[in-house]
Amino acid sequence: MSETYRNRLLLVIALLLAAIYLFPLYWMYITALKTGSEMFATPPSFWPDDPQWSIFPFVFQLKGMGRFLWNSVVIASGSVALIAVLGTGAAYVLARYRNVWVDVGLFLVLMLQVLPASLMITPIFVLFTLTGILDYPRTAVILAIAAKSMPFFIVLVRATFMSVPMELEEAALVDGNSRVGAFWSIVLPLARNGILVSAILIFMQAFGEFVYSKSLIQEIELQPSSVGLNAFMGPNTNEWNRIMAFASIYVTPILATFVLLQRRIVSGLTSGALK
Amino acid sequence: MRRLYSSLVDGRGFDLCLIGIPLAFLIVLSGVPLIYNVVMSFQAVDMFSLGSFIRPWVGFENYRQLIAQPEFWPIMGHTATFLAASIAGQFLLGFALALFFWTNFPGASWLRGLFLVSWVMPGLVVGAVWNWLLSGDFGVFNFVLRELHVISGNVFWRSDPTFSLWSVIIANIWLGASFNMILLSVGLSSIPGDLYEAAELDGAGALTRFWTITLPMMRSTIGALISLGLIFTLQQFDLFAAITAGGPSNSSNVAQYWAWDLSFKQYDFAKGAAISVIMIVVVMLASVYYVRSTRHEVRG
Repeated sequence: MSETYRNRLLLVIALLLAAIYLFPLYWMYITALKTGSEMFATPPSFWPDDPQWSIFPFVFQLKGMGRFLWNSVVIASGSVALIAVLGTGAAYVLARYRNVWVDVGLFLVLMLQVLPASLMITPIFVLFTLTGILDYPRTAVILAIAAKSMPFFIVLVRATFMSVPMELEEAALVDGNSRVGAFWSIVLPLARNGILVSAILIFMQAFGEFVYSKSLIQEIELQPSSVGLNAFMGPNTNEWNRIMAFASIYVTPILATFVLLQRRIVSGLTSGALK
Repeated sequence: MRRLYSSLVDGRGFDLCLIGIPLAFLIVLSGVPLIYNVVMSFQAVDMFSLGSFIRPWVGFENYRQLIAQPEFWPIMGHTATFLAASIAGQFLLGFALALFFWTNFPGASWLRGLFLVSWVMPGLVVGAVWNWLLSGDFGVFNFVLRELHVISGNVFWRSDPTFSLWSVIIANIWLGASFNMILLSVGLSSIPGDLYEAAELDGAGALTRFWTITLPMMRSTIGALISLGLIFTLQQFDLFAAITAGGPSNSSNVAQYWAWDLSFKQYDFAKGAAISVIMIVVVMLASVYYVRSTRHEVRG
């Protein structure tokens, strides 16, 4: 068997595997486009006879998705901004030194990373009620997400800083730069890509966050899309085409971003998670 | 003042400032709730005392009541099943895919990365899609199984107590297998190729090479991944909210969902805190193991 023949065969199998694995996504889009009766046909149709493109603007209007998506963006941007500002510095210090204190700090950070949100929400809710932060529900969610996701960001960005040669920074110091100057004009630009990729990853997570938003935000005007989608799915719903349309509108920006930046995101993720 | 300023700009103060602020932030927003959680699990908390710091102390009463509830042991059992089945499923599926893509044909790495969409999607969306796929009468999952003659009648995944937990497990395996695959691929590609060449010269077959080279070389990656899987699986909440909501009659309820349900549906914050404390101890133990295996990796 020649090399190219083997490669082609493997590629076909790989495409087949990817198609099977990603079938749920395909089914989401296809269901959204089906009519009410076609959706419940047996055997199910794998291609819509009469694609209902109008369902997307219809559901968007019906459910007030503009508001939901806007809230998701506000919460995700706020969390990412807070995490990036605070987390980058911490990651830098944890990458720059090797001593007992750094090990302790790193250990603490890793431990905080693993606390499940659904278990932490009980004390956070009570504490936010006591301190009055709950009067600003979106801020409360941003703070909670920042505390939850910052350790992950620190771990990822630390790996980036580790790959920036220390000699460059030392050279800048010798040339008369202050520590702040060297950090700002030498180290940060070199680590920019890694920071950006980690920030995007955090943004995606925060964009889909559910537990904190569901528990801390009571007003429907302030809820993000994840809570909206959850409210849409009643226990005995049969509006599956509309629910799938909602899900498609919600998830498509994330999927598009991911497919465009796939290579960078995957390499950023793998460098951080295991090292 | 001048000394302080110059230290902030050009010395130790700079580092301390960079690490100190985030650390203080994390302590206030993660450390304090963590400790407060333990305190609250020993208090009597109701809707009226929710707004005050000082509440009656009840000792281990909350824990005693929690364990005495008839659903406690079944829910713990479900949690164990959910953990074991999800981790095993994610790992085996991920490992199989990683081994396949390891053969390295043109386009392999790009296609492999594409699988990760299952992991970056919002959990609620994954849950919604699987909720529809697993629907009893019209679900396409049942249709495929029927066509393959695995089942003869429809399985009511979400409403049949025997299967409701498994409907969440299936969705969770799909969600996490890609992440496992990516990390395992990294581990596989770091095994030096000459080991295989040497083994091949010695006449070792493919299976022998897998058992004697691949698996031992992957040991620390696998250890890290299993504990990471445990951590992620214990965090899984969205799928329960989107697929079964713990029902029917707690047949798919697990500890992390129950904790939230106790606090925010039944407003029993003290019991919610108590179950949280129990589970957080479990997570902490897993993460100690995770930290140890990743450190092992760094030292190589």
